[in-house]
Amino acid sequence: MLTKNKLTTACLANATAAALLTLYSAGVLAKDYIVTTARPDVLFVVDAKERKVVKTHKIPNTSMGNSPITVVPSRDGKVAYIIHNRWETVSGIDLENGKEVFRAELSEGEDLRGKAVFAMDLSPDGKELAVFVNPTRLLPGEYQVLDPYIAIYRTDAGTDAKPERKLPSPRRVSTLAYSAKGDTLYTFSWEMLKLDPKTGAVKGQHPWRSWKEPNRGEPDTLAIWPQWEQTNIFATPYYKVATDKEAGDPAALRAGIWALDLEKDTVSFKEFEDASVVLFSSAVNPVRRNEVYTVYTQLTRTDMKTGKMDRVDLDHTYYDVNVSSDGSELYIGGTQGDIAVYDSKSLKRIGNIRTPGGGDQVLSSLRIFKR
Amino acid sequence: MKNIKPLNRKAHQIETAPTEEAAEKVVAMSAAVAGCSTTFDPGWELDPFMGVAGLCQPMEADLYGCSDPCWWPAQVPDTLHNYPKWNEGRDDAARDWQSLQSVFPK
Repeated sequence: MLTKNKLTTACLANATAAALLTLYSAGVLAKDYIVTTARPDVLFVVDAKERKVVKTHKIPNTSMGNSPITVVPSRDGKVAYIIHNRWETVSGIDLENGKEVFRAELSEGEDLRGKAVFAMDLSPDGKELAVFVNPTRLLPGEYQVLDPYIAIYRTDAGTDAKPERKLPSPRRVSTLAYSAKGDTLYTFSWEMLKLDPKTGAVKGQHPWRSWKEPNRGEPDTLAIWPQWEQTNIFATPYYKVATDKEAGDPAALRAGIWALDLEKDTVSFKEFEDASVVLFSSAVNPVRRNEVYTVYTQLTRTDMKTGKMDRVDLDHTYYDVNVSSDGSELYIGGTQGDIAVYDSKSLKRIGNIRTPGGGDQVLSSLRIFKR
Repeated sequence: MKNIKPLNRKAHQIETAPTEEAAEKVVAMSAAVAGCSTTFDPGWELDPFMGVAGLCQPMEADLYGCSDPCWWPAQVPDTLHNYPKWNEGRDDAARDWQSLQSVFPK
């Protein structure tokens, strides 16, 4: 029988647990986890603030001499979808127990080869997975290039998943990104197309190749790193030739950041310097949303309002950057076998996380989920 | 016809095709396939600014980033299609680069 004190203690404990659960549900107490991959077949989860690898899983039935590329975690952090096996397979791995819960082979038979070249995204409700596929018919004496398509899979389709439907697609798609509501599938090719994810109908576009500015040529970018989950803002660095400058003039090549708000369907951009270093991928700070970080052999912070730029050298080249939910830390990965942690204000290095086994991350996405 | 012999690979494929349907799959004229990539830009020799300071540092940071997606197949063996075992078991380029071998066209 409970005494009054014990009853009070029990009630307090229950109330505390309920309050914690409420805070947890509201995301207040949720922690940031990094999910990424490393050679040859490792999917791993990192407690970001603890700098500690908390889960390591093997990607089953994959190639061992090639690295996984795109990683897309579900918003609840339960499953991560990965392009691997020389880009011919997409798997969904349960992040808690490592079980493969989804698998789609993109090649068919002996002579139809399908490759997923980076672009993949999950619908906001987690029910559908969009994958850009380049198919090729392997004829006896040559390759017959077939039309690319966007395969839409149901995520509950199991480990022998077939596309629920195929959407027509332009070539050279490097990014697929669902709008926050899930009613638009942004498809980044020569233009940033807005597709109806149900039918593939082109609803509109944001100009890219057709983007006109006085005294500027066409923009150039390499947008193969999905890292917008903290803000729902897709951001990519770009270069443009200044057509009013002589070739060889340091000001003849300009660099900037182009950003698409996946909630508001609005574009912003800021040209901020004469191009002087290589810029690979960018991420927006979820707290100070005017700040964009870009990495390669340098870490660059750009103010999208003023164009003010700060830059530090990194210890080696990295491809990926992502930002903690509180905006205080930057997680920089890709290329080799470590994730560097930087302070987003001072741009000083404050931590380092080694990949399990030390394998290189190469072109893997570096994603964050909260749990 | 038995005194006529194929002189090139395509003709040989037509002659040895097991069925008429298989023979029809041999396309008589085709462009040469130079590699697996459509990328044609400087990379391992010069950076976009015609210098070397912008190249990946160290080169091992970018080595598998070039071989695994078949980015510069003229400079780095492509592990996506043609040399799938070139770096197998050598998962840390900075540590394992000394054991990587040259490859030769098949």
